[in-house]
Amino acid sequence: MVRRINARSEERLAYWVMVLPAVLLYLLVLGFPIIISIILSLSNYAGGKMFGGDAWRIVGFQQYGRLLRDTYFWFALKNNVYIVLVSIFGQLPLGFIFAYVIYRKVVKFGEFWQAVLYMPAIISVIVIGIMWAIIFSPSGIIAEVMNSIYSGSFGNQVQHIFASAGGFHVTDDVVKQLITASGPVAGQVFTDPVPELKSFLLSYTPDQFAMLKGDLVNLLGTKWSPVFLTKPDIAMLPVLFVVLWCWTGMYLILFLANMQKIDPQIIEAARIDGASEGQVMGSVVLPSLSGVIVNAAILCIAGSLNSFALIFAMTRGGPARVTEVLSIYMYDSAFSGSPNYPLANAISMAMVVFSMILIGATKLAERRFGGKE
Amino acid sequence: MGEPLKNPVASRVLGTVGRTFIYLVMGIFAFMTIAPLIWLVISSFKSTQEFRLNRVGLPHVWTTVNYPGAWALGDFGHLIGNSVIYTVGGTLGIIFFSILAGFAFAKIKNRATPILYGSFVLGILLSIQSVMVPLFIEVSQLDKLLTDFFRLLGIIKAGSVNFFYDSRIGVLLIYIGSGLPTAIYLCTEYIKGIPYALVEAARMDGAGYFKIFRWLVLPMAIPIATTVAILNITNLWNEFALINILVSKAGLKSLPLGIFKFTGNLNSDYGKQFAALVIGMAPMLVFYLAFRKQITKGVAAGAIKG
Repeated sequence: MVRRINARSEERLAYWVMVLPAVLLYLLVLGFPIIISIILSLSNYAGGKMFGGDAWRIVGFQQYGRLLRDTYFWFALKNNVYIVLVSIFGQLPLGFIFAYVIYRKVVKFGEFWQAVLYMPAIISVIVIGIMWAIIFSPSGIIAEVMNSIYSGSFGNQVQHIFASAGGFHVTDDVVKQLITASGPVAGQVFTDPVPELKSFLLSYTPDQFAMLKGDLVNLLGTKWSPVFLTKPDIAMLPVLFVVLWCWTGMYLILFLANMQKIDPQIIEAARIDGASEGQVMGSVVLPSLSGVIVNAAILCIAGSLNSFALIFAMTRGGPARVTEVLSIYMYDSAFSGSPNYPLANAISMAMVVFSMILIGATKLAERRFGGKE
Repeated sequence: MGEPLKNPVASRVLGTVGRTFIYLVMGIFAFMTIAPLIWLVISSFKSTQEFRLNRVGLPHVWTTVNYPGAWALGDFGHLIGNSVIYTVGGTLGIIFFSILAGFAFAKIKNRATPILYGSFVLGILLSIQSVMVPLFIEVSQLDKLLTDFFRLLGIIKAGSVNFFYDSRIGVLLIYIGSGLPTAIYLCTEYIKGIPYALVEAARMDGAGYFKIFRWLVLPMAIPIATTVAILNITNLWNEFALINILVSKAGLKSLPLGIFKFTGNLNSDYGKQFAALVIGMAPMLVFYLAFRKQITKGVAAGAIKG
């Protein structure tokens, strides 16, 4: 009897010694921060010592009231919703289709596609974000390619205008044609385009024509300047595009691994019965993966709130805060300019609630449409 | 199920169109991955002056001058060293504590298990990024409390204690905590699969739980430990959001943090910037190419819900 009691207490001791380190660490990263967040979001805390020292007190729900009336908050929330939508309606279906065609060997080199499509997810999002910011910027590769197309076409026009004038003859007509070809640029470069351009042209000799053409392209050709990340109305598009590109591979991997668990005989039987690949995908593979798809959707939603680093590196929420998501808004409230800790903590709580609602909705959908797992 | 396509020609044509379309879409995705990376690597071998004139093509003069320049300026040796410490230390900590707790949850009966285990599982879905501001406040307040406490005891006279904020230990503790929910779920479910009879037999032989953990559970948990390791090595190596608020001393920064600060300071020196980005992604790419199969398997196994 005594030995049993000892065993019981040894058991209890062992349990707590094993569980406690994990529980304490978990409290440190999630438990206490949530409690702090709730308290400070209701307070007027302005930095300094929370315990002893500087005075602060609970002042009520004003920060939440402010958030509800704050256009930037709704803007950031909207961007978060966009990311959720791109994840669920972009990453998931594309990942599924890619996985299916690799699984069914509809495409060759499955290993290659798998390796390459997952690659973005393995690289630091900071590198990814900076890389795409450069690519979309005026010094980036897209601007460069577009500009070479533009200047090529303007160069051809110059060539054509002089060819139809029968060589290097600088007439008023040629000058006017050049001005028309340049569009609005000539009006910006010259105050009085016709005489000024004419004297510019006459400063070249006929055998300098190739040089003249190059100079004209530089001077008058339309410059294509990329507006992807600078124009407020569309700045979110490149971000969403990178989000889509970056994590589709992860769902490809996830779905493929689960497809490989399906009994291949079922699929072969359906094929022999005359079902097309599309029908096999829709009627055999899709239903048997329904549980995994719901899982993936939940992961998507949880992951979409993790977009801080990518957007921070790519746009830092700009221009004019249009690519801000909740986490960046929260970060800026606390760490740039004069800190507003109560507001930042209210946003933090809003994020926790937002993810809870979305996950709850997915769980309900799971119960309604029945995930088989 | 709809009507199967009866006409084999139509079916083949549709198949060809579909296949071409799939190749096209996958090709665009692959192109968008490979082309920027190649562009980045090529550009890193151009001088900044050359890049201004020749942004797309191969360099006329291949130069490696950007690498030593960026390496020295960004202190990348130091950054990589820190990243190795955070990644290895964090991963080992996560593995150890999650197998330990997973064993207790799976094999030792206790009334606290449902609520404790349940809250870990819930944590899988909560992004720690959403509490990064309160987390920052927490660590700085903890340091202030420790400072006051140590002063009271007379251990320190002046200055302040940095145990949680701006300290390697602080980063490691937060990293381990942030990896625990998923890891504990994976380990607990895995250890549940170890036959209870084995534990029971060891108990009969008079082995204590810690002995059982060391000699029975730990060796048997190696497969799940590998999965947990793979998931966390990639996560922790690339982690940015948390370390960005936990550390401000240059000597404690990790590689992603260093890359971010480096490229921010140096907007127009493209050569060095590209070299820095290549340095930033190279270690993980090598790791990926070397362990692709294991990584893929680990990711698929780790993608679980609460």
